[in-house]
Amino acid sequence: MRNVGVFVLTLAMAAVMATAAFAQCDVHAGNHVVLYSEADDPDVLLWDSRFRLRDYNAASFDVSRELLPHARLLSQGTRATVESCVPDFVQLRLQNGYEDAIGIIITSGKYQHIRGWVLSTDLRLHR
Amino acid sequence: MRTPMPLGRVSATALLTAFLIVAVAIAVVGAFQTRANMAATFDRQASIQLAQLTFEELRRLQIVEENALRGYSLSRDSFYTEQYDSAVQDFDAKLASVRRTLQVQRLNDADRVLADYALIQDNWRQQVAAPLLRHPNATQIADLDMRNKLFTDYESRIVAVLRRDLAAANAAFAGSTQAQLDRSAYVRAFWLLLFGVLAILFNAYRGRLDRELEEERTTTQTLQRAFRSESVPLPHCDVGTAYRSASIRVAVGGDVFDVFRTTPQRALLMIADVSGKGIDAAVLTAFIKFTVRGMSLRHDDPGMLLAEFNETFERTVRNRDLFVSMLVGMLDTKTFEFRYASAGHDAAFLRSKGDVRTLEVTGPILGVMQSDFETRAVHLRPGDALVLATDGLTEARDRKGDMLGTDGARALIGLAPGRAQDLADALASSVAMRGANRLRDDLALLVVVVKEDAGA
Repeated sequence: MRNVGVFVLTLAMAAVMATAAFAQCDVHAGNHVVLYSEADDPDVLLWDSRFRLRDYNAASFDVSRELLPHARLLSQGTRATVESCVPDFVQLRLQNGYEDAIGIIITSGKYQHIRGWVLSTDLRLHR
Repeated sequence: MRTPMPLGRVSATALLTAFLIVAVAIAVVGAFQTRANMAATFDRQASIQLAQLTFEELRRLQIVEENALRGYSLSRDSFYTEQYDSAVQDFDAKLASVRRTLQVQRLNDADRVLADYALIQDNWRQQVAAPLLRHPNATQIADLDMRNKLFTDYESRIVAVLRRDLAAANAAFAGSTQAQLDRSAYVRAFWLLLFGVLAILFNAYRGRLDRELEEERTTTQTLQRAFRSESVPLPHCDVGTAYRSASIRVAVGGDVFDVFRTTPQRALLMIADVSGKGIDAAVLTAFIKFTVRGMSLRHDDPGMLLAEFNETFERTVRNRDLFVSMLVGMLDTKTFEFRYASAGHDAAFLRSKGDVRTLEVTGPILGVMQSDFETRAVHLRPGDALVLATDGLTEARDRKGDMLGTDGARALIGLAPGRAQDLADALASSVAMRGANRLRDDLALLVVVVKEDAGA
């Protein structure tokens, strides 16, 4: 009985923390989005891990190049659904800024049903 | 000789004037320096802004390169390769221009980032563009796309940093310009305030100075009115006088004359020229006038009077820099015998029937040494004129600087009107005209004309 209480309390705290985290993101779980990068090349890199996403954006050019095998290049316009968000998770190299890491599942194109992580600036809400 | 301004006043006036000149000079130089500094800052700011614009052009060329490569990989149209080659050339030229500007402006961090940017772009050309241009249908197109994405992502970040750095530099220069403008305004305000305060002080000081001078002038005039030359009517004689001061500010001189009746039948005629001017001279003329009057009551011999006065003068004044030329005469208004003694006073004349002669000097100037003074006598006839003057007459100079001299004075007296006052006025006017209305020395004139009916 006592273990159940601790479990419930842990769940409640996790829920509160998750709610607080989501509160700082522009997108939320369940949002339908379209991939479109604000970089010069509007195609989007979908990463298999949010940590590699972070490393790619924070590392030097050579290190970033070494990480490319862990990413897929998705054409702009690919549709997806938001599953999670970690605010200010990615620190951008040189720019001293932070961006959110967004967990998504692809819902169109040849990578449909694939999960991965993108930057918050790599997507926009689908109207 | 004009009355000199006291040394303290001259120093204070010179000091204030010097302050004003220095204040104006510093303000003018400061304005030019500020202008030069601001011009330099504006140049640097303009240079940075040009670098920003050139960098944006660079950025556009980078995108042109990438788009041309995409177009070629899709269409294999040589139009795109020409566009690509042209963009590469322009990119390199613009890159060199921006880097030069950054180096000149010592924006080393931005220059390093731009060097990274250039290196990435060069690598992109080697690793992405070159393979695609050689084999547009390459099987590893997906890999090239990935590399392209990598390069463009990295370049995007560098571009963001460069934009931020250039904007910061531009803002810094704008801030510097504003700071210089503010500083310039404060400095101008300070100098304006200082200049204003100095001007007010200067004006106040000048006002005080003028008031003091006015007070001194008034005092001197009052003294002069009290002690100055006087004449009284004499029986059977016509008396005329004139007095002109060489000083513009202070109408006081060291010349003095006096007509004083010692008895109903006898009159003292005295004229003297004292060295020095101003209040000191006025006081001395008063001393002379009343001392001589007093002595004239005891002595009817002018030579003895001058000898006693000379001794009294030396004992009383005790200033070796002061001396007096003087003519003292006793006129008998019944017999018209004029007995006189002259202590170095050579500007005395007798006009008789058209002939003018000088009354000779009979002793040295007073205040120099103890001496006897000879008394001489002349007999005046009706119509004769005694003209007693100071050296303002004989030493009157024309515009060339030539003195009138004794002969010139005699000539003027010979041509002058018969009435005593008219004669005095004519001589004074002639002296004034000769010097273009600027007297170099004081002038005193005492004219006694024996009336035509005096012998009747």
